[in-house]
Amino acid sequence: MLPGLRVLNRVFAICALLLLASTVFAEQKQDATAVCAQCHASQALTQPHTGMGRTLQLPGTDPTLNSHPRLTYQKFGYTYVVETKNGESTYSVTDGTRTITLPILWTFGSGAQTWVFEREGIYYEGLVSYYPSVDGLGITIGDTEITPRTLDEAVGRRLPPSEPVACFGCHSTNAVKEGQLLTLGSLEPGVKCEHCHVQSITHMAYAVQGQAMETAPPDLRKLTSEDLSNFCGQCHRSWETVIRGPWKGELNVRFAPYRLAYSKCFSGTDPRISCIACHDPHRNLVTETAAYDPKCLACHALKGAQAPTNTQATAKACPVQNNDCVSCHMPEVKLVNGLTTFRDHLIRIAKSGTPYPD
Amino acid sequence: MKRPWHLRNGRGQNWACVLLLFALLPCGRIAAQNATVSFQELAEQAAAARDVDDAPRAIELYTQALQINPKWEDGWWSLGLLRYGSGSYASATEAFSNLLKMSPQSAPALALRGLCEFEMGEYSQSLADIRNGLASGAAGDARQEQILRYHEAILLTRLGNFSEALKTYSAFAEHKLSSPDLLVGIGLAGLRIPLLPKDASADQQPLLTAVGDAAFRFMAGEQEAAQQAFQDLFQRYPTARNAHFLYGDLLLAFGPEAAVPQFKKELEVAPDNSNALAMLAWTLLMEDQAEEALPYAKRIAEEEPKRVGSQLILGRALLDTGDAAGGLEHLEQGLKLQPDNLEIHLALAKAYSKSGRDDDARRERSLCLQLRKNGATGLARP
Repeated sequence: MLPGLRVLNRVFAICALLLLASTVFAEQKQDATAVCAQCHASQALTQPHTGMGRTLQLPGTDPTLNSHPRLTYQKFGYTYVVETKNGESTYSVTDGTRTITLPILWTFGSGAQTWVFEREGIYYEGLVSYYPSVDGLGITIGDTEITPRTLDEAVGRRLPPSEPVACFGCHSTNAVKEGQLLTLGSLEPGVKCEHCHVQSITHMAYAVQGQAMETAPPDLRKLTSEDLSNFCGQCHRSWETVIRGPWKGELNVRFAPYRLAYSKCFSGTDPRISCIACHDPHRNLVTETAAYDPKCLACHALKGAQAPTNTQATAKACPVQNNDCVSCHMPEVKLVNGLTTFRDHLIRIAKSGTPYPD
Repeated sequence: MKRPWHLRNGRGQNWACVLLLFALLPCGRIAAQNATVSFQELAEQAAAARDVDDAPRAIELYTQALQINPKWEDGWWSLGLLRYGSGSYASATEAFSNLLKMSPQSAPALALRGLCEFEMGEYSQSLADIRNGLASGAAGDARQEQILRYHEAILLTRLGNFSEALKTYSAFAEHKLSSPDLLVGIGLAGLRIPLLPKDASADQQPLLTAVGDAAFRFMAGEQEAAQQAFQDLFQRYPTARNAHFLYGDLLLAFGPEAAVPQFKKELEVAPDNSNALAMLAWTLLMEDQAEEALPYAKRIAEEEPKRVGSQLILGRALLDTGDAAGGLEHLEQGLKLQPDNLEIHLALAKAYSKSGRDDDARRERSLCLQLRKNGATGLARP
């Protein structure tokens, strides 16, 4: 075959494969994750069950709503009712004379849950959310300063145009086209492989031809700590995002990349302090604080050791103890609503009674 | 205890109505004064004259009473209002200034002094007073707020702060409060023409109104109508400078990608539009498209090397395309031009962090926190 024809043939083959891939994965809604699992089993089989994998849930799929058929809450003279029947949930607000009832189409979060609604083309964040800490409803984080004056305002906070894009863009996959348009018809709930590993659909198509390596998405493990902080910070909020944004005070404890970046031990070029040095995004968050001790001791010398067992661990030893570092140096912070607690990623010598370092 | 009404920050009183009332006052004869009357008598006579709409006599009586008792705050307030109502803006300003010496936070006095200064063409001072008045609570009711916000917007435009002006106008759009003058005002801010609506020529009015209408619809949340209005505008006025820039700027609310094509079109219409060039490069950078941003960044730095935004954009573009050393050089130049620029410090923190200069990165982050604490905000627009 002439070289030109060979190239042309190859182009046609690739186009056909791309078309096939998009048909299979977009139109038939086949779970692309299952295809990824054929080669990347250890990541793809566990990731869908993580908090990120379940960070948006569609009607009928939310175990919390299914197991709580009726949740109620009263505030500001309004009564809120979240009701689930036959796999369909509604969010109602009443002032006693008038009631607004909206279907719950999108549940954001796998632990604490917030609902986003669309009314006449405008998106609203529910003023009331579900909190596991009280196994019930409370005011949504960030909305505690809102005092609704009307029933319509009591439904929730009107979202500015860019916010629904950010909400769906982070909590789901394929919900945003070209960075700006919401394409909720193609939405896949939660963070799927292609959410972080861009071009993975193309990679899959080529992999069928045995060209997996040539088309592999960028290896995120090779990013520096600074770049990873910004990468994860696209959703978890980076240093720059928070500094540019409106969040101040304890509310920003939610933004781990921002907090970590200001830690004295953060180094943009040291992989021992990157997000993935401590967290495997393909697995559930490890909540046992002791599990993180080896991460700290990768840099810090052991207390009382004559010579460092790890020649890389040259940072100062903790004078108190060699274990459970996180409990002291990354204290938990309870948000102002008293319903949610976050582990502060600003690693420091935290002294009790000192104000929250913004 | 009831406070004097000029000190009640906008609650209970409606000086907008008072202004209208004074606009309708008849001019009367100034009566001869009895030189021996007491302050109390003069004050009572002045109030009585004011209450029967005899402004000239009231002004005369208030002036006399204030000569006896210059610490009389209500007197200065009433005199200022009367003088404003009769078009004596310089002397009204003087009256409000006397009051403000004694009550610096009197929101209505600040606002009215600002309106006097506006009439006298002292635009910077007027804007400062109106904004201080608003911040102190001068917008007591919807009508007062509209008057002050409208003046704030046209002053911002006149002084060249177009982005802030559009932000101020957006409150009118959100409440669907429109008028022909308002649309012309939005048009001027949108096309970045530093004029007051009354100074726009008759020839400019149709274009300004069309621009104002399209932007108003956008800011009111009528996306489809706005899109159509902008398309019509581009067809009718294909060479209107800054029209595509305005649309791109508005579309930034939906994310950078929507804005980029409009900035590119603006550069087709006006290749020398440095604002469009800077915004295009910056928007691409914010979209993590540093490679595409780099040529535009080089161009803007070449054309306007003394502009801090130019150094910021080129520094950031170089940094994000892997040239940390080159990026640092331009960012440090930018720092010399404006040491308290938050975006420069954000970029420097990133550059130092990527270069392994951890202490420098941490110092820059501390500065970012300090600047933010002092009220600095990051730039959506360099």
